[in-house]
Amino acid sequence: MIIRPVILVVEDEPIVRLFASDIIEEAGFEVLQAADATDAISTLEERSDVRVVFTDVDMPGGMDGIMLAICIRERWPDIQVIITSGRPWPQETKLPKNMVFFPKPYRQDRVLETVRKMAA
Amino acid sequence: MGLSAGTTEMRAVSRPKALADLMVLDTPAEQAFDDLVFVAAKACGVPIALITLLDADRQWFKARYGLDVQETEIEHSVCRIEIDRAEMLEIADLTADRRTDRNPLVTGARHFRAYAGAPLVLRSGAVVGRLCVIDTAPRPEGLSELERSMLRALARLASENLELRRIAKVSERQTELQVALVEIGEIIRNSGDAGQMALATAAVVGRVLTADRAGLGLVDDAVEVLDVERDWTAPGVLSVAGRHALDEYHGLQAPLSSGDPLVVFDSLADERTLPNVALAMRNGVRALVDVPVRDPGRTTALFFVHSARPRYWLAEEIAFLRSVADRLEAGVARHRSEEQQRIVNGEIAHRLKNTLTMVQAIASQTLRSATDRESVYAFERRLMALSVAHDALLQNSWAQADLASIATNAIEAIGFMDRVSMNGPPVALGAQAALSFSLIVHELLTNACKYGALKGDSGKVSLTWEIKSDGDDAGLMIKWRERGGPLVIPPARRGFGSKLISIGLVGTGGVDIRYDPEGFEADLRAPVRHLAKG
Repeated sequence: MIIRPVILVVEDEPIVRLFASDIIEEAGFEVLQAADATDAISTLEERSDVRVVFTDVDMPGGMDGIMLAICIRERWPDIQVIITSGRPWPQETKLPKNMVFFPKPYRQDRVLETVRKMAA
Repeated sequence: MGLSAGTTEMRAVSRPKALADLMVLDTPAEQAFDDLVFVAAKACGVPIALITLLDADRQWFKARYGLDVQETEIEHSVCRIEIDRAEMLEIADLTADRRTDRNPLVTGARHFRAYAGAPLVLRSGAVVGRLCVIDTAPRPEGLSELERSMLRALARLASENLELRRIAKVSERQTELQVALVEIGEIIRNSGDAGQMALATAAVVGRVLTADRAGLGLVDDAVEVLDVERDWTAPGVLSVAGRHALDEYHGLQAPLSSGDPLVVFDSLADERTLPNVALAMRNGVRALVDVPVRDPGRTTALFFVHSARPRYWLAEEIAFLRSVADRLEAGVARHRSEEQQRIVNGEIAHRLKNTLTMVQAIASQTLRSATDRESVYAFERRLMALSVAHDALLQNSWAQADLASIATNAIEAIGFMDRVSMNGPPVALGAQAALSFSLIVHELLTNACKYGALKGDSGKVSLTWEIKSDGDDAGLMIKWRERGGPLVIPPARRGFGSKLISIGLVGTGGVDIRYDPEGFEADLRAPVRHLAKG
């Protein structure tokens, strides 16, 4: 059996989450899904094999995608993070190290290329 | 007695005010006044003659003959004796008069012995000082009748000169204030944000009024706090930037509700500022003007000017500050609505991007079974071209976008910036033309990558545009030129991309496509008056 790298997709909009999950799965990865940041953190606490988190920024609940990314950088420094949003990246905030930002809508070939690089 | 005491008090208050209005204190010597004291000394045959102005705490000499000091404490002034009677004062022997026998100017080395002074009376009735002559030897006989009339005549001339000088100064001052107002108008029109606008305005006001501090504080909706982001201060003066509780400023309640300015000449002597005098002293505020900035019906901000010394603000200066506040009101309102517009625009953009992402997700699911993945990607890229055109439009509230930035966004999305050269004047595109142009650039670029100049490594694209002729029939001409690619072969059939290109900038064509063997060429034309459409 081939072990596929595990990618966690965090997105509150179900259609977009399904879309992102599908393209990543079709590219040969195992995909876990979370509908918000809290959900994502519980998943990360249960699973130690997640390699890349692909997260939206604006999500319901107290924690947004940027806070999630910072939290991941602290608690799970080995996990790679890709952030996406319909808003431009806030000018006054520096993108945390080793993270990539894609404005929405994103080109799936570009996202997949980044996921492959990060999971390698 | 009671009446005369009241009159005296009134004159005492009006003298410093009248003096301030004259704008003469601490100014350099002037020939006209120097001539008057010279003539007075010679006419009366004395060694000393002075034009004395009686300020609150000192006497200051506008002109002096035979004396080497510019001012003395008010307690040493002989001129001030019975000043409010507005009559000639003569003391033949200063050592024998109980009002002057202990005066150091008399007992000391200056050896004042005889005095005569005619009052300086302005047209308003205010007595501001005296033209006086002083002898260092006793003159028991006093002045002759002729000397006395000459001294009176010279004093009238001095008063007249002070008034004329004032008229000239006020008109000079009004010109200065007018120039400053124009400068402030420019600042308010051109400022990028409210904080910068307030600071630059305060700096001009502080400079032209030679104040110690000036600034704008924003008043909250509940009229409880005043927020000063940054204030202008003269060198060495502390800032009052920060949050201030308005209920600590007793004197401000009336101006805040009425909109009239609070004008304080001396905070130690004004009942409106006395309750807050400790605060005023801590901040070095001895005189102030606070002008409410009004939105119709409500005070939204306060423009303040502080002086560390007592100061009689001129009516012209108060009027100037009112005009400044009016202009700031317009500026603050503009920045506030721009800020709201910016937030709304950001929100619309966000929703639009999320909707486009949904469209992308649905299309991708719908086309899942399509064997040709490339068609999914092509759709996605067209969606991107639309999306980046919105980015350029967003910068101007969707009203318009610059042609060059639309092209740049569309090309950067695919990533061939280094092989496409662009050149042309600024051209504003309305929303429709901007979105069409973005899609067209995207299709041209895609074709160039697949079949044209960008297929190999060496080809280049030149994108240029110009406005031809003026007036109503002015036309925009955009030229897309490919060079250095493989030999061009016209395609057998027209794809969707070509159809999209041929629709043109404003939906009515105006597109010429040439499959020149040297390189593909496209010309896009549109009347300028159609480009602005939303």
